[in-house]
Amino acid sequence: MITVQAEYTARFKEITQTTSETIQLEQANMAELAQMLTTKYGPQMQALLIDPNTQDLNTNGTLFIDSSGRRLFIDDTLADGETVSFMVGIAGG
Amino acid sequence: MQETRQKELVNGEVWYSPGDDVPNVPTKLFALQNLCTDCKMCEVACSLIHSPEGELNPVWTRIKIDHAPQVSRVSKDGFGFMPAICHHCANPPPCAEVCPTDAFYYDPKTQAAVIDQDKCIQCMECVPGCPFDTVFVAPTGELLKCDLCGGDPACVKACSTRPEMLNAGKQYSRMPVLFYEEKAAFGQILRQKPEAKDEVGIMQAMLSKGKVSSAA
Amino acid sequence: MESGLLRVDLTTGEIKREILPHSMFERWVGGSGINDWLLWEHFLKHDIMCDARSPENVLIFGVGPLAGVGSGIGVKGRLTFKSPCYGSFGDSTGGGKFPYVVRFSGYDYIVVTGKAPKPVYIHICNGEVTICDATHLWGKDSAETHQMLRKELGDYPSEAYTLSIGQAGENQVGIAGVIADGWRIHARCGGGGVMGSKNLKAIVTQGTQGIKIDDPSSLLEWSDGFRQKLDANEAAYGFKRRGTLGAVEMYQKIGGNFWRNNQGAMFRGEEVRSDNWVKKYHKYSEVCSSDCYIACDGRYKIEGHESDAAQKYVGESFRHPEYLTTGSSAGALDVRDWAEVAHWGKITNDYGIDNQDLSCSISFLMELKQREIISDRDVEELFGRPQSLEWGKMEDIEALVEDVVYQRNPFGWLFRDGAYHGALRYSEQQGQNFMKYAMYGKGGASFTEEMRPFPTWMNNMAVASRGADHLKGIGLIEKFQRRDLSKVYFNGRTEAGDPTIPDLKGASTALIENQVALINSYGVCMFHWMLDPLGYAPESYYGEVYTAVTGIDRTKEERMLDGERICNLEKAFNSRLGMRREHDTICERWMHEPCPEGPNKGRVAGDMFEQVLEEYYEWRGWDKETGLQTRQKMEELGLEDVADVLAADNAMAGERRADRAVHVDVKIADDPGIPD
Repeated sequence: MITVQAEYTARFKEITQTTSETIQLEQANMAELAQMLTTKYGPQMQALLIDPNTQDLNTNGTLFIDSSGRRLFIDDTLADGETVSFMVGIAGG
Repeated sequence: MQETRQKELVNGEVWYSPGDDVPNVPTKLFALQNLCTDCKMCEVACSLIHSPEGELNPVWTRIKIDHAPQVSRVSKDGFGFMPAICHHCANPPPCAEVCPTDAFYYDPKTQAAVIDQDKCIQCMECVPGCPFDTVFVAPTGELLKCDLCGGDPACVKACSTRPEMLNAGKQYSRMPVLFYEEKAAFGQILRQKPEAKDEVGIMQAMLSKGKVSSAA
Repeated sequence: MESGLLRVDLTTGEIKREILPHSMFERWVGGSGINDWLLWEHFLKHDIMCDARSPENVLIFGVGPLAGVGSGIGVKGRLTFKSPCYGSFGDSTGGGKFPYVVRFSGYDYIVVTGKAPKPVYIHICNGEVTICDATHLWGKDSAETHQMLRKELGDYPSEAYTLSIGQAGENQVGIAGVIADGWRIHARCGGGGVMGSKNLKAIVTQGTQGIKIDDPSSLLEWSDGFRQKLDANEAAYGFKRRGTLGAVEMYQKIGGNFWRNNQGAMFRGEEVRSDNWVKKYHKYSEVCSSDCYIACDGRYKIEGHESDAAQKYVGESFRHPEYLTTGSSAGALDVRDWAEVAHWGKITNDYGIDNQDLSCSISFLMELKQREIISDRDVEELFGRPQSLEWGKMEDIEALVEDVVYQRNPFGWLFRDGAYHGALRYSEQQGQNFMKYAMYGKGGASFTEEMRPFPTWMNNMAVASRGADHLKGIGLIEKFQRRDLSKVYFNGRTEAGDPTIPDLKGASTALIENQVALINSYGVCMFHWMLDPLGYAPESYYGEVYTAVTGIDRTKEERMLDGERICNLEKAFNSRLGMRREHDTICERWMHEPCPEGPNKGRVAGDMFEQVLEEYYEWRGWDKETGLQTRQKMEELGLEDVADVLAADNAMAGERRADRAVHVDVKIADDPGIPD
């Protein structure tokens, strides 16, 4: 059992109605975290998180990183106490 | 009936109490004027359908976004937009009433009043006859009026603010501008009380009536 | 596909109408591609080394074939000219209704040459063109000019939309922009300065003429499908609400912000580092350009209760801050209140000046003052008055903006071409080298984003044809770590998606430059593409609708070559001006100072810079030693005619001609000096 911190920006924040939360995971991987968030927040979260074609984490218009700034994929493992940021990827302006 | 409609148009601010007999609640195409963003997607979509083959020209449009600071909540700055859109008035519509050749007929499929171009003598009586200024004149002199694209209006599909509410519910601050069919109920809500005029108010009223689902 | 081309010579008042034939679109796609070719042609007959503020320069407006046809990807117009501030190729893009309505006026492309004897504006209405007196508009800001012109010209046959300059353009400030409809600025490269030097206050358009569409039913089908794709794209809803402002929070997490002249990589203000803007400031509905299904832009009005600072600007209404409006104020200048950020956006737009170059000029001086490199006396000499130069004081910053706009003191004159040239002139004047504190990339153009941890962005800043800027090659693959995209474009290799290594970074700069050139040539907005870079790819998916509109059918590979051809033409223009490998560079801080904070703390751009640049030349097929194009590459792209011109100018790799003088430096506009 590990504990991770999930942080949300933009669209994620609107769906979760919060900026961050602490989540306990049985298995230390992204697959479980994604599964947990999908169950908790429903189809909109699922559409943001999971790419229906590849069943991997959705890469289009999103960015999910750990505290070292590395992008996370579905089979990545998570360390205890890790912070995972869920963001909508925008650049420029 | 005619008088109420005129009154509503002149000041644009007539509100009704719940239970009032609301005159002229439109029954077909409907727009929330003060939410229009002037993206002109509807205008372009309409022109694309109605322009002569191989061309796209806004003069053939049946819906037009007018610069109308008087309906804007930031009107002091002179910005604000109003879609000039056929309301598909109840039978007989004012445009048809003034027609000397009875060129207007009801399309049995869509219940939209349509102009029979063979009967029309292009006298243009219907242009001022429409209280909403939504009968337009093409460069050829042909009179243009919304025909609901045979039941699947291109403008409604193109409205850029539409999917936000239908898909996302109360989490969005903006609302769709154009509605088709579902709008009669919206019209009732809109006329309930002045507070419901703002987007959040309208949104909440619609959600409470189950007219919109909060999630797709 | 054919388009109307309007040529206006302001010196003689001559007006010519031409038709751009179908073959032009087959070679140059449209929009910025055709603009580039018109610019190239112009400088075959005129001296390319001319002062960009002289009547010999040309101002070209163009809008691509996909603009305003109902595709829903937005409409962007493009201005192309020789840049007065960077001295190189210059172009700038902007939204607004102007580029939409101009399509119905009879001309998609407008070429303005010469110089009017007095202030004028050009009125285009259904093919008819009039040059009108603009004396009454001179001295007015862009918003007022727009309103006055609309009133003057009425709304028949259609509403009037404008492209105008503010006071900065009138005073020929090098970093002045051109503003569409009084609120959407074409900021970069100094198009406003060029318009000002021509005494051209505005171009106004009205029109009800049709656009030819090759295959309307395919177009309708495509746009229905595109709307459905966008509706189903959950990430798009976040973008619709925030626009590029959503990048603030994301950049804060990845350490990509530019704080206090890039002494930091994160914003400090509690407010501005969140996206509280969207919560506190009501978004009124008003979209950027017509024919956009995202409609991320909106109008706000400050009510006064949002924050203490908001009380200063009660009733002020403008469009909501974009990311770089925020980056240049909340970032570069450390302004900490949203109302002040919004006000910064409004004044730079109304005066018509590029907020990137301007904010880096100001932050350069603020840093010198912070480090006590310059004294209060130096400051007083520079401004002609005591000036605090404290970070984040909006009243003071506003005064500095006016100094540059009205050219009213030595600071204004020295920094009229942006931070690089300003710092250079100020160093010369003071006899001391301050260049270490000037933030710039290629051409001396400033840009307010942290570059050091992102090799593709860094390389892009060093090679962009119009001077450092993200809109010539936005490094999506790397910044969003898209290994999946890297695989698709680079034969299964994933390295382009990993910003910590230099591999494939030069290659992805070249790839994305080609894609961006296509998007700009279609005349649509780049930001839709970012929501699904592969799904909405310009060479395939957007290419389909391009085919429906123009009838030009190409394979994916051929379209990528079209993009590459356009990039090579822009490069050739700069090569003729004498730009070589040594001009493909970035400033000292980006190159050598380690990134100070964030997840990428300690990263130095210089570690990878040369390797990435060499790889870029390799993928481009250019000569690594000189940075020049090779005849082989030019022939592959069907640019033999361009190659001949380059060879004659000694600007082609491996083809030196002894009888020609070599241009060794880019000519920068003369130092205006200090008037009496």
